[in-house]
Amino acid sequence: MKRLMLNINSWTISASCIIILLFLPNLTILKGIFTPANENWDHLKKFVLQNYIQTSVILVVFTAVFSIVIGLSLAWLIAQYQFPLRNFFKWALILPLAIPPFIGAYTYHGIVNYTGVIQKTLRNEFGIIVNPSYFDIMNIPGAIFIYTLFLYPYVYTITRIFLSNQSASLIESAKILGKGPWQIFFQIVIPISRVAIVGGSSLVVLEVLNDYGVVKYFGIQTFSTAIFQTWFGFGDIETSIKLAASLMGFVILILVFEKLLRGKKQFSFASTKVRPLQLIKLGGLKALFATSYVLIIFSFAFLIPVAQLVSWFILTFGKIPTDQFFHHIKNSVFVAGVSAAIIIFCALIIGNFSRIVKGRYVKVLPKITVLGYSIPGAVIAVAVVTTFIALDRFLSPIYAVMGIDSKLVLSLSIIMLITAYIIRFFAIGYNAIESGYDKIGTDFSHASRILGAGLMRTFVKVDLPMMKGAIISGFILVFIDIMKEIPLTLILRPFNFDTLATKAFQYASDERIMEASQASLIIITISAIAIFVFHYLLEKGPK
Amino acid sequence: MRKIFSLFVMSLLLMLAACGNETSEPTKTPSTTEKEVTTTESKEVNLYTSRHYDVDDELYANFEKETGIKVNVIKGEADELLERIKREGDATQADLLYTADVGRLYRAKEEGVLQSGSSELLDKQIPKKFQDNDQMWYGLTKRARVIIYNKDKVKPEELSTYEALTEDKWKGRVLIRSSENVYNQSLLASFIDINGEEKAKEWAAGIVANLARNPEGGDRDQAKAIAAGIGDVAIMNTYYYGQMLNSEDPEEVKVAEGLNVFFPNQETTGTHVNISGAGIVKHSKNKENAIKLLEFLSAPEAQGTFATANFEYPVNVDVEPSDLLKSWGDFKEQDIQLSVLGDNNAKSIMIFNEVGWK
Repeated sequence: MKRLMLNINSWTISASCIIILLFLPNLTILKGIFTPANENWDHLKKFVLQNYIQTSVILVVFTAVFSIVIGLSLAWLIAQYQFPLRNFFKWALILPLAIPPFIGAYTYHGIVNYTGVIQKTLRNEFGIIVNPSYFDIMNIPGAIFIYTLFLYPYVYTITRIFLSNQSASLIESAKILGKGPWQIFFQIVIPISRVAIVGGSSLVVLEVLNDYGVVKYFGIQTFSTAIFQTWFGFGDIETSIKLAASLMGFVILILVFEKLLRGKKQFSFASTKVRPLQLIKLGGLKALFATSYVLIIFSFAFLIPVAQLVSWFILTFGKIPTDQFFHHIKNSVFVAGVSAAIIIFCALIIGNFSRIVKGRYVKVLPKITVLGYSIPGAVIAVAVVTTFIALDRFLSPIYAVMGIDSKLVLSLSIIMLITAYIIRFFAIGYNAIESGYDKIGTDFSHASRILGAGLMRTFVKVDLPMMKGAIISGFILVFIDIMKEIPLTLILRPFNFDTLATKAFQYASDERIMEASQASLIIITISAIAIFVFHYLLEKGPK
Repeated sequence: MRKIFSLFVMSLLLMLAACGNETSEPTKTPSTTEKEVTTTESKEVNLYTSRHYDVDDELYANFEKETGIKVNVIKGEADELLERIKREGDATQADLLYTADVGRLYRAKEEGVLQSGSSELLDKQIPKKFQDNDQMWYGLTKRARVIIYNKDKVKPEELSTYEALTEDKWKGRVLIRSSENVYNQSLLASFIDINGEEKAKEWAAGIVANLARNPEGGDRDQAKAIAAGIGDVAIMNTYYYGQMLNSEDPEEVKVAEGLNVFFPNQETTGTHVNISGAGIVKHSKNKENAIKLLEFLSAPEAQGTFATANFEYPVNVDVEPSDLLKSWGDFKEQDIQLSVLGDNNAKSIMIFNEVGWK
């Protein structure tokens, strides 16, 4: 018994430490909520804030709904049915995530605008001049379109893994009881995968809330606009942080509410082993329909934009310096790989803590670690810089002893950037891990504990093997997200440190999307390789 | 397991430290012996820049070749870099803050992160007008915000001033991007200075009333909207127009060739000009090198490169603009203190919000 306590304590201590470390920089932002309102705040409130909030709500709600519809339907098709190209789509459907939404926005605008391929062909080949407003995507529906296409994979990935590995017993029982495929979908699949759906779609929502690239280019004013208008326009970073803090506060409320609500209904269940769902082979028209549906989504979210990028790549090949690209690839892969590994490691600890610990309110605690994902990256960056400079000042006597002739060491090193990534993207890794824990439930660990194994041994021998899918998918999601990350990398990087994403941004921000295609395509290729390799590993392993 | 865990953490830290060493090299290269001989001996200069052009990198490389001084760069957004310098305080490693808008330099000065610095050569190469009063920042290139018009639908005689675009005959024909864009903010800021706040607000409201569509996209997209027939005139920077004329996409070149440049307010207050420039950071550790770099960038050779490769106007009067820029003709610039653009920035945003310029 004493040993048991000790174990719980070590989990609790390490989990608490990680939570506190992740939360610390957020605290510098959250305390901004208490900044007294000044005339800038009043001005915003009087003239624009209401509109901005409305727009944000519209973007968030519609993007979430469409992402769930698309993500869940794809996940169910892939998890349950066998149809032509299914094995390819299974991993390829994650690919759209590799396209940064702002690059997607520039690319789609590039396709449909006046000089884009559609209008150009109609005009030059067929002499048809169309009303350009039919092809205008720089509006709210256009932004929803872009966000949905490039963000639905969050819902798809997390839900599919859940359905493939964990839903077999329930769904097969339902079949024996004579339920049809639609009944199964609505009465079984949706309720049992609720946790995965909420996990995936909350990532989509947070990403829409923190985005500034797409809306800025499209000229759409959202809550992010208010944050940056006060900072860049009024030079009033305090009010800007106050706005960000309000957003964060709002997100906390939602998260706590969701977790408490979910706490009442537990859907976790256990079968004797992790058993994959048996695929049903679709034939004839049904197979055609399934393949076409998936192919259409995949075309819009991946094939079409990539084809456009490739054609730009050909146009601009040799026109911009590329001698540094290997260096950029190395940098990108290094920071993304290291950060993703750390995030998954920490998420496993916190997720396990949240699972073993008793008490509803303590269970909510890990949720605050996702806050870093809820507000624009530039604001997080300010918090991280502040924290690291304070840390450097604190450590400066040690630097002096070590003979380092500089007051800033950590904040000029890559450690600051990686820490920022961890704070920002912890939510992504954690959501994957959490839904993994959620699906394995606690029965096996209880059994293992009753049989005399310690917590750590139970974790390594019983839980981890069942978590393989969640670990791999979490790692991929974080890795890809960091590969394409922009504001943090720009602000927090050390001297002379370029990544593929900063190169793509460099050109795109200057309205030179054609030149941005080269770095973008490399990001997409590396992400695709990562997805493929991990899927291969996952399939190869013992079922 | 605990062993594995600590091994993992250890190796991670080592890896990070190794990488940190490599990338933070600029902070450590002044070895202890050099430390006593002060910064003049240092062979590097550290730059925070919001300019993202390949041509800049080439110039830095040339500077290093010529002087042996290495240019270390962090590229980001101006306000975010300024915030980083502020928070780094006296420990900052930045020597120069290089931005694409004078408003940000003004703000940097206001925030107290810049210091004065001068040399005879700088005074010779950069006209007083493009220097800060206290010589804390220097302009390096100029950009003109002009009217671009459809050659087929608009005769240049119909155009005169920015103000004239608010007249009724331009209803539904004017294109300009969102007010979030700093070039628009600076444009309005200049009007606040020249015509007063009331008139500036009238102008903004008049433009909103005449817009061909809700502001969207970048400067290039305004030019394309003219070609698409959505509007007939656009307010945009010459620099983007030059890029379109030289685009890799023949369709963009075609669009640009159907348009022309008009320098507004030639009979009155002059065309709006903004600068790209660099300020000397207060806690710079390599101030002399920073000034050397400024001298290099304002010297005829570099100024010529800015003009030809990037379609920017040189500030150095001894340097001719590129042939393309010259083909658009000479023009009279607004005669204002550039720092007012920064000073009036917040006011102009408030006006934009009040008149509903998205």
